[in-house]
Amino acid sequence: MSPQILMDGLINGAMIGLGAIGITLTYSILRFSNFAHGEFIAWGAYIALALSGFLGVLAPSLTAPLGPFSFGWSLPIAAFGAIALTAALALLADALLFGPLRARGGASIILVMASFGAALVLRNLLEFIFTSRPAYYADGLQIALRFLGVRATPDALLCLLVAAIVVVATHLFITHTAVGRAMRAVSENPELAGIVGVDSRKTIRLVWILGAGLACLAGIMAGLVVQIRPTMGVDLLLPLFAAAILGGIGSTPGALLGGLIIGLAESTTVRLIGAEWRAAVAFAVLVVILLVRPRGLFGRS
Amino acid sequence: MSAETVAPSGLETHGLVAGYERDLPIVRGVNLSVGAGEFVVLLGPNGAGKSTLVKAIAGLVPIHHGSVRFNGEDITAAPAHEKIRRGLAFVPQTENVFATLTIEDNLRLAADLLPKRVRARRIAELYAMFPDLAAQPRRPAGQLSGGQRQMLAAARALIVQPSLLILDEPSAGLSPKMATEVFSRLKAINASGVTIILVEQNVKSALAVASRAIILVEGEARHEGPAATLADDPIIAELYLGAARART
Repeated sequence: MSPQILMDGLINGAMIGLGAIGITLTYSILRFSNFAHGEFIAWGAYIALALSGFLGVLAPSLTAPLGPFSFGWSLPIAAFGAIALTAALALLADALLFGPLRARGGASIILVMASFGAALVLRNLLEFIFTSRPAYYADGLQIALRFLGVRATPDALLCLLVAAIVVVATHLFITHTAVGRAMRAVSENPELAGIVGVDSRKTIRLVWILGAGLACLAGIMAGLVVQIRPTMGVDLLLPLFAAAILGGIGSTPGALLGGLIIGLAESTTVRLIGAEWRAAVAFAVLVVILLVRPRGLFGRS
Repeated sequence: MSAETVAPSGLETHGLVAGYERDLPIVRGVNLSVGAGEFVVLLGPNGAGKSTLVKAIAGLVPIHHGSVRFNGEDITAAPAHEKIRRGLAFVPQTENVFATLTIEDNLRLAADLLPKRVRARRIAELYAMFPDLAAQPRRPAGQLSGGQRQMLAAARALIVQPSLLILDEPSAGLSPKMATEVFSRLKAINASGVTIILVEQNVKSALAVASRAIILVEGEARHEGPAATLADDPIIAELYLGAARART
């Protein structure tokens, strides 16, 4: 594998991994495949775009590029607001749709179909507000850096670093804090978790906040490295699920590792076979995992 | 059974009707009164509603009629996670530990309900009480034997220093030696001031450690009395245990 394929795969895989953590958390705790998760990625990217643009109007100096990066202070500041608003969007979806269905004892398939519906509504709403024309956080072209035989833009390298830090922080949060313990307990046995004193409703809200926050971050990264489109979330959905299942449902490091493997597989395919086969790779990996090791790399049997 | 002898600091149920489906109640109008410090065993044939009754009290099975009062407060509608905060701990019969969590994390999960400054001390106290657990804190609970799991489940329930501990057949599936160990631990826990309600199929051992027994048949509390008397009463044994077993 050439160093460039490795670098492209890592950058792509970091975005997939971040998104897959949300998928894996939602699946293991709420016990359904949330097909609207991709829309949280797209909404996160667009909310950050809107907030960043608004900040740029208020204070034009905030849009001046930061060092080697393509964006100014307006984007990192907007990212915090976008994470909060994307989390609020996920909580709203739960309050209006998924929560009432859970309360009625809705089967998993009903929640899955509801998430399909929610995804359609959210995507079309996004297209209605922002149009389907691609958007960018910055207009200027960024020159890629050359090092160790590979090329990568400073934005892409920053995304890789941020993804690594966020995944480690999320893993430590889940394994070493009271809230993380509660999440793992609800994931394994919600009834027993209640007996032990864990408020499942509160834990579920935290899962939405964490999952949507990470999705927003993945969306901002995808927007920085590629572009922002209303369909960016749904395009990432298959790789996200493949990564979550490959890593093992419920495993945060597994989701990241799964994301990196899918990312590497995609970048290898693009280089060696052709870009049109990119989506097929994630699907092929998903099918192979389900046949060979359905519990994934780190999942429970 | 009358609920007139209600202890203000104990548990009482009035006309409790409970079950997974409203039209098919398993517990049918149970009146129960357990005073502070008592060790009560719930006996009865399979299907009598013992487990459903304690699960309803713990907040895991819907209550359709009647009420549950604990330490003078009405907790009928309180969700399970609030009952432990009020001092009512429940240990289910199966799946009573988090198999993927370590022993330490199982205990910490319960200790998270306590103020931060006392958590480590309380876990250390429980380790002292259950040395088997202290020897392997990083071991996943799923790798423990049946007896060790029961010990861990009991230790986790005791972390918050509950005033009432309800256990659903803690000796099920255990070897006679381990079952004896469990009963002896429960007796010691009760001696430390914790009220215990025990659901058991192991009638002889349960009556040997309990102070009072209540017999459930077909979802109703049909008889109660001092455990020692009940153990020696052949008519009661025949009427409520042997006869009921014969029917099922």
